[in-house]
Amino acid sequence: MKVKKPKDALTAPLEQAIEEQITKKDLQFAAYDPEAGERSGYSNYSYWGSTLRCFFKNRVAAGFMLVLVALLLFTFIQPLLPLQFEANLIIDHPITKKQMSNLPPAVTNVAATAPAGTRLLVHPFDSEEWAAVDNVVSTIKARKEFTVLEYGEEWCYISYGDEEGYVRNDFTTKIKFPDDQAATPYQAKSNFPLSLYSSPSDLSNNGDALFCLKSQLDMDGNTAVARQDVPLRLLPDTRPFLFGTNSAGQDLWAKVWSGTRTSLFIGITVAALQSLIGILVGVLWGYVKSLDKLLTEIYNVIDNVPTTIVLILVSYIMRPSVQTLILAMTVTGWVGMARFIRNQIVIIRDRDYNMASRCLGVGTSRIILHNLLPYLVSVITLRLALAVPGAIGSEVFITYIGLGLPLSVPSLGNLINEGRKMISTSQSYQLLFPTIILSIITISFYIIGNAFADAADPKNHL
Amino acid sequence: MAKYILKRLGTSLFTLAVILTIVFVLVRQMPIEGYFDNFDKLDQAVIDARLKQLGLKDPLPVQLKDFFVRLIHGDLGTSARYAVNVSISEIIGKKAPLSIEMGVISMALSLVLGIPLGAAMARSKNKFWDQFGTAFIVFVSAVPAAIYYIYIQSFGSTLLGFPMLFSRDDWRTWILPVFSMSLGNIAYYAMWLRRYMVDEMNKDYVRLARAKGVKEKNITMRHVFRNSFVPMIQYIPTSLLYTVSGSIYIESLYSVPGMGGLLVDVIARQDNPMVQALVMIYASIGIVGMILGDLLMAVIDPRISLARKDSAR
Repeated sequence: MKVKKPKDALTAPLEQAIEEQITKKDLQFAAYDPEAGERSGYSNYSYWGSTLRCFFKNRVAAGFMLVLVALLLFTFIQPLLPLQFEANLIIDHPITKKQMSNLPPAVTNVAATAPAGTRLLVHPFDSEEWAAVDNVVSTIKARKEFTVLEYGEEWCYISYGDEEGYVRNDFTTKIKFPDDQAATPYQAKSNFPLSLYSSPSDLSNNGDALFCLKSQLDMDGNTAVARQDVPLRLLPDTRPFLFGTNSAGQDLWAKVWSGTRTSLFIGITVAALQSLIGILVGVLWGYVKSLDKLLTEIYNVIDNVPTTIVLILVSYIMRPSVQTLILAMTVTGWVGMARFIRNQIVIIRDRDYNMASRCLGVGTSRIILHNLLPYLVSVITLRLALAVPGAIGSEVFITYIGLGLPLSVPSLGNLINEGRKMISTSQSYQLLFPTIILSIITISFYIIGNAFADAADPKNHL
Repeated sequence: MAKYILKRLGTSLFTLAVILTIVFVLVRQMPIEGYFDNFDKLDQAVIDARLKQLGLKDPLPVQLKDFFVRLIHGDLGTSARYAVNVSISEIIGKKAPLSIEMGVISMALSLVLGIPLGAAMARSKNKFWDQFGTAFIVFVSAVPAAIYYIYIQSFGSTLLGFPMLFSRDDWRTWILPVFSMSLGNIAYYAMWLRRYMVDEMNKDYVRLARAKGVKEKNITMRHVFRNSFVPMIQYIPTSLLYTVSGSIYIESLYSVPGMGGLLVDVIARQDNPMVQALVMIYASIGIVGMILGDLLMAVIDPRISLARKDSAR
């Protein structure tokens, strides 16, 4: 039925009256005015904005966020810093080619300091700047007699042939003394070969030469005298072993940071992939009832094929590498996430507000995106935050059962596993440092995850 | 409900068959070298004879058929490499009870300690118990299990004087391994229960109850706890399985002759019959655990329906 428009004669005056009242001023864009907004019931509440604000109100969590970001940045900055070693470089002594293994952590590589005036022996070493020195003047063969000139609890001043110097007096040398040790001089001997030092301290690296700047010595053939207090270094440069070295003679500092980079990369990638697939599948699994049976059976299948078999096969086919680990951990890990989401969805699927939406004919995808997922943001973020350390932890486990990354690709997993062997020795620092870093990462993710989950609950926003 | 359970069990049998087939095929993709200790030194003839003896020379479908026929007759086969020619049911029958006993005790311990801890944490949000519990959870989840297990063992044996190695008849030797095993689960239960309870406490019906003047204790126990326990209940059967299958770290630390690490061990040694048998056992427990979890959830929360078809798309 068509209604005929009334002719202008009637409405024209009215239109004219309206036009007179509406001026240009009324047609301009209004700026946002909070007070006016309040009056009209408009709110500038934004969910993510409030979540972030609420999150940063939690000082502890924000602090850990800072720590984590700093740690992440540092793993990238560390190789660019000065005085760094290559992570996989096996550090040899430049002269004897012995590996510099199990050196304790220290802030400098100065092993000893030669006081001014110390006589040092110079070893042949081809360098303009550095000299290889120690204070071992000569060696006394086993069971040779020498004259003790002055007896000391730790060092004895002796003369042997035409040399005078100090020998160590402890359980390693077992010098045979007469009954009255203080009544010098007398003859003595040891059943072991002795080193004759020019000063009462051991200025060597377990018998190997140390290094110092030539400019600090008065050189005279193959001996030299220290012109000042000379720092003697382990290597002919100034790079320190901050975390010590491992049993293969590699710098642990470089290895730990390189390993942290690898492990964080693996952890974050795996967590992201897992949750992407997991959330997608989990939501469908939980919400779409006709898929429930099928996906439950698929879950049962995947969950029960042992991870170890998959790992062995994947690394057999593709060689152990970072990609292989990520693939294997994602393939085996997403089902856990999917099941978690599914359980959450099943719980809220039939709540009244969803029933209402369904009755109004809202589509599945809209219900999922607008009704279900926002409800789960807090639990999902917690789970996501825990997935990262979880992935790093399972890397440790995979290394434990012998399927991890090769030692040439440092990761927290293989560093901890190597360190574990040293747990009750004096080299336990090799376990300590990677463990500390791992703990910092895990604690940060845990606290950030929890704080974010709290912040993501809109009821906490006020 | 009964019909639903029967149906689930029926499909589960099918699932089990699929799992076994997949594992069966997968283990046969492993390198042949793995079946021998000194592969390089052996003649081709010896290798062939051994492979034939292991039944690996037949075509795959034939092997698969033989396996299922034997399985239906209740014959799990004999171990090929782990303990040569010993029947698998005998090996598992010897090892499983110990792991199950240990797993059940540790599970009970973690429930008894973890649930009250989680509830206490939620009730005293941001006060002592919450902070104590958070510190505990953070510690347990931050330090790798492989490491704090070692420390528990060394401190427990030196400071507290507990025996270092496990012996079945001495109850004192059970304490350290069971305690170590429970720590992770205690933290897990406490963490999630707290999360769910805190989420639940903000809900309107709880506020209404509080406004009506219901006692705080009743609110926590009757409303909040019961509702928060629903998602937890699903995990209990499954995590029971994990404790039953034994902990590889703990059993090797205390030399417990249990199932821990058995699966990893036999996979690494490519003992195919053992792998298949173990996978079958673990998978069955896993599937039953999942069904139990669903049932428990439906029993506790009447709003959840498993059998009804028309309630969602």
